[in-house]
Amino acid sequence: MTTEIHSLVGAYVLDAVDDIERASFERHLRECESCRSEVTELSETAARLADNTWSVPPPWLRENVLSEVGRTRQLPPVVEGAPPARTASRWRRFTAAAAAVVAAVGAGSAVYVVQDQRVREEQRVAEAARANEARIRTILAAPDVVLKKQDVSTGGRVTVATSRLHDAGVVILAAEAAPTGRVYQLWTIRPGGAPVPAAVLNEGQAADVVVLEGLPGATDVGVTLEPPKGSPTPTLPMVADVKLV
Amino acid sequence: MAERGVGRRPEHLAAVPGVGPPPADAGDLLREVARGDEKAFGRLYDLVAPRVYGLIRRVLRDPAQAEEVTQEALVEVWRMAARFDPARGSATSWIFTIAHRRAVDRVRSEQAASERTIRVGVASVDTPYDAVADEVSGRLERQQVRRCLDDLTELQRQAVTLAYYQGHSYPRVAELLGTPLPTVKTRMRDGLIRLRDCMGTGASA
Repeated sequence: MTTEIHSLVGAYVLDAVDDIERASFERHLRECESCRSEVTELSETAARLADNTWSVPPPWLRENVLSEVGRTRQLPPVVEGAPPARTASRWRRFTAAAAAVVAAVGAGSAVYVVQDQRVREEQRVAEAARANEARIRTILAAPDVVLKKQDVSTGGRVTVATSRLHDAGVVILAAEAAPTGRVYQLWTIRPGGAPVPAAVLNEGQAADVVVLEGLPGATDVGVTLEPPKGSPTPTLPMVADVKLV
Repeated sequence: MAERGVGRRPEHLAAVPGVGPPPADAGDLLREVARGDEKAFGRLYDLVAPRVYGLIRRVLRDPAQAEEVTQEALVEVWRMAARFDPARGSATSWIFTIAHRRAVDRVRSEQAASERTIRVGVASVDTPYDAVADEVSGRLERQQVRRCLDDLTELQRQAVTLAYYQGHSYPRVAELLGTPLPTVKTRMRDGLIRLRDCMGTGASA
């Protein structure tokens, strides 16, 4: 049994185990000193893999993190060294567990077919995305770019970057999952005008980056929850309303 | 080319005597952070955020979500700082472990949703910050990691990278590679051991 559980050491270090396996492995670690030192060494090695992933975070992230840190109480030290606690919300744990179940049920012989189709689909989507990518880069890098952020009332956040120079904007939505049977829809609102549909996300999609040409001049970017495929007029209340002026 | 890259490492810039703050070491900074020092946290942020964000973004492939999870992970570093035990590994390793778990938690909860395929469009978008990153990143370390990964057997490399960079569980990795579970577990372990031997010491800075 001990050797059986210890064979998970590599998977444990790479976070490739599920919550139950992690808990039993950590129990095993408490009883096995040599295993602890193996985990320590291999964790150092795994951490080096992060050297390979340098990416400069967006400049506003520093400010966001530091201001949240200013509001967050630190935990006192513990004498008995507990592993870093996982503070993910219960909701997130539940969805992770649900995801594991779905993945397990959906697995099997069909996986290769799905993989193959997915690769082709990914290529097609990626090609279309490349054109879009250049535009997003340009707008985000514009010298006159203005960023507005707004929490989404159902969880998550929407960020709008606008550049008058390029007469365009980029909307970055990172929300919690929409309720079943609802999708996120984006709207632009101009002075004296009715909200105009700007983009509709797919079912199950909670994050997107959308370029909106001609965005400067609009007063608001709104986000609503709509039936699949979206609506011609917004269902109120909006879950987020980013004021641009 | 490589030499120029080395000269531009931010760690080296910070180390120039009399210019800016004294050289930052994640372990020292984390000790100060554990005493509630927010300024030290700011410096720790500058030292590790590009790697934390880069790692999380690599796993999640979605810049907007990566930003959110990076924030969660770094705030957790702040909350938990007093519980870091130097006897059990380096500060950077501790920080990346927190970051990686957060990213994996998120990616696994996302995998249920069919949006992953659709989001590849977004995933392939490089933000302009990457251009900056290329200028300043630690090229030497990256080269070493790449070289050591190339040194693994094909199966070891696949097992390690599918788990670490894409956040797949080992049963999923076994499925993707069409390899029995025990073999995948073994390859993850001996792959890491070989990487350790190739890379030598622990995490940089």
